[in-house]
Amino acid sequence: MSGSVSGLRAIVIAHRLLVRQLVTRGRIAALLVVGIVVSLVVALVSRAVGEDESTEEALEVGIEVMSNLGFTIVVPIVALVFASAAFGDLKEDGTLVYLWLRPMDRWPIVVGAWLATVSVSLPVTLVPLTVAALIADVGSELVWATVLACVVGNLAYSAVFMLLGLLTKNSVVWGIGYILIWEGLVAGISGVGEKLAIRGYTRSIIADQTGVDLYLGDLSLMTAIVVPVLVILAAFVLSTLRLRSLDVA
Amino acid sequence: MSGSESSPVPQPVIPPPPPPPPSESSARPIVEVENVTKSFGDVVAVSDVSFTVGPGVTALLGPNGAGKSTLFRMLCGLTAPSRGAVRVLGEKAREHREVRGRIGLAPQQDALLDRFTAYEFVELAGRTHGVADPSGRARQSLAYVDLDPEDPKRVGAYSKGMRQRVKLAAALVNDPDLLILDEPLTGLDPVQRNRMISLFHDLGDGGKCLLVSSHVLDEVARIGSNVLVVAQGRLVASGDYRRLRELMDDRPHRIRVQSDDARKLASALIGRGVADGAAVRENTLLIDTLNVDRFGRSIAPISSELGIRLREVVPTDDDLESVFRYLVERR
Amino acid sequence: MSGNAKSSADGAEIHDRGYRRYEGARSGVVGAVRSLVWQTIRSILGLGRPARHKVFPVIVVVIAALPAVVFLGVALLFRDLGDDSLVNYSDLFGFSVAPIMIYAAMVAPEALVRDRRDGMFSLYLSTPLTRPTYVAAKALAVLAVMMIIALGPVLLALVGYTVVGDGPDGVVEWFKVFFRLTAAGLVISAVLAAVSMAGSSVTDRRAFASVAVILVIFGGAIVSSILVDAADFSNTYALLDPMGTAGETATRILGESPEQGGSVSELSDIDTGVVFLGTAAWFAAGAGIVGYKYRKLEAT
Repeated sequence: MSGSVSGLRAIVIAHRLLVRQLVTRGRIAALLVVGIVVSLVVALVSRAVGEDESTEEALEVGIEVMSNLGFTIVVPIVALVFASAAFGDLKEDGTLVYLWLRPMDRWPIVVGAWLATVSVSLPVTLVPLTVAALIADVGSELVWATVLACVVGNLAYSAVFMLLGLLTKNSVVWGIGYILIWEGLVAGISGVGEKLAIRGYTRSIIADQTGVDLYLGDLSLMTAIVVPVLVILAAFVLSTLRLRSLDVA
Repeated sequence: MSGSESSPVPQPVIPPPPPPPPSESSARPIVEVENVTKSFGDVVAVSDVSFTVGPGVTALLGPNGAGKSTLFRMLCGLTAPSRGAVRVLGEKAREHREVRGRIGLAPQQDALLDRFTAYEFVELAGRTHGVADPSGRARQSLAYVDLDPEDPKRVGAYSKGMRQRVKLAAALVNDPDLLILDEPLTGLDPVQRNRMISLFHDLGDGGKCLLVSSHVLDEVARIGSNVLVVAQGRLVASGDYRRLRELMDDRPHRIRVQSDDARKLASALIGRGVADGAAVRENTLLIDTLNVDRFGRSIAPISSELGIRLREVVPTDDDLESVFRYLVERR
Repeated sequence: MSGNAKSSADGAEIHDRGYRRYEGARSGVVGAVRSLVWQTIRSILGLGRPARHKVFPVIVVVIAALPAVVFLGVALLFRDLGDDSLVNYSDLFGFSVAPIMIYAAMVAPEALVRDRRDGMFSLYLSTPLTRPTYVAAKALAVLAVMMIIALGPVLLALVGYTVVGDGPDGVVEWFKVFFRLTAAGLVISAVLAAVSMAGSSVTDRRAFASVAVILVIFGGAIVSSILVDAADFSNTYALLDPMGTAGETATRILGESPEQGGSVSELSDIDTGVVFLGTAAWFAAGAGIVGYKYRKLEAT
């Protein structure tokens, strides 16, 4: 009667299950508010700056706003909300067993969970940030840079925070610690730090695409894409190992 | 002061050898537990337990915290034993993918994926098991536990009893060889209980291996003739239920009687063979009797005949815990 | 094995099950509040639990205390540099902004959300505690833990400087500084405790409460800095930053305005009264949300 589930099927199933669990009205509403605030701030700023400054300066201000508001807070925090909940909520509720005790390999569950996280959190960040970049109206470079950096950042943060959700019970607090202390303090210290923080890569993409110099944004586009991909793969491997050795309630 | 015909303390059945599976040939048992110990830090949850289980219904009896759920979790591979080996169908579920597909577990915790309807939840369980026709199987399983597949309510809004049945339907959806049901009767009303128990028997008669846990002695009596008794992480008895019950009934019951003349009452009860033992402390009389029914019938007439006023008649150790204490400490 | 163990002459025994009726004194509301405060602090900091529960709170405290230790080291190594080698206290408060934010995101969610989620709140209401006393006890616990992270490092610096010989001159002056520091730390802790508890009142998932707190504090800081720095809005908009507003209030309490060698912020030009008003507004908003939510909360 029952058989085993192929890797691809398992990915689809895990994805479907987790999207359903992750999308709650409260979360979406709260994050929508965040998105609207972001767009609003960008609109206010760009209008204020556009009145009396040159275009080049307006672009610089737009980039600064985008990288500060968008890429130090919106992108990582939204990814944190959903990615840490992917396995974190199931573990907390005691429902992980309905995914764990199945004739499925562990890696497709991990990949499916990551895809679920991404398919919820990417739209929630990409749409408001792109809208914000469009409102800023400082040239198509910023729009394109925002889209690319947002995608890379979201995918990488999601993988890392999903792993965090498997490793610790209090994953959101650890995630906030990572964002504020590691990315905010430690990685800001020297030229080495930026390579050890996802923020360094998103900022580099923005700097590269817009041609504007950005603090902590000196990496090449190639590096800024390849390294996050490697980070994602590493997070997959570790998550799979962790899921295998986990004590399920 | 002591009873005349004090019977020897009966020995509970010591674990091995397990009873042979009802009718099957000498096929390999479905569940094999070999010298399994599980500790969490300093706490030993399961201590050196061994047993095998074949097809049919087997009840796992034990008070809360006896290690039943931990045993079940190890069987399913949800957690690894600290020592020893647990095999289902000859394999370890924690490492063997296909074996996980042949187990159906209804876990003890009340957690379900609350945002799904019962049908969606069971259908998803079917999909995650790689069942050929998840939709059809889901409807079948839900019908089996008297739930409506068309119910649009989410399981989050279900009552405890309905949630229990959803769990059971989900555990049945892959037509498993081994069904593990952790306290499946809690939260059910008496009618549902009966229905559920007869369902277990149907499944068992159909050749499935069912392991059903409970901490309620009377429930276990009805769940299965095969019983495993766990207390404080150890297997304290196993075998045919009726035989075990007999052994437990041989144990003298202890009843506390408060009256205005304990000494006189004691000698009357002993003299008429209603009590097998007695101890008097001031106005309190402690009676040991092997036949509670007879004692219950006789105590009032005897005392009124003697003009003794009864203040209180209380059984002191009639609960399950004392049975376990008895089993464990007389080993 | 006292009164409960019984045996008869034939050797049968009923063992003492160890049940004890509580016969000690009952400590009433005060005792209930005291023990709730203490137990809440223990659960936040992971006291009495395995080491891994303590890792996070300890790391953050260490990071918060690091600047104070570094400046102390500098003061110790280069004693002859004079007063210039000393960092002022409002800067020290500034260095621990990130740790303070993290504590705000961690502390109240741990203190409040768990109780509602697993029904402990209703259980507490069946004790001498009432809604107001329950919330007050939780607020005290949250405040106490916030004080560790907000006040700990500066007090460490004060004591350190004093030991090294660079402390305030004279006993009166020392106590003046000490009380100002305490007042400043109390203001920062109180504002963040209020915001933290407000965030923890609106959702029943600890994780989401933490995120809500961080969005308000961190988001407020970034939004206000963008409005003021990048878009040249009036400096008053900096009051949208709860952390910055509370920090500026601390600076004023310490009497370390820029003219006196203190740190400069967007709020430096704003009237002290307005700054205090902004701080009070943040506190009142947070406390108001907590009060409203807990008045309406159903005890099941």
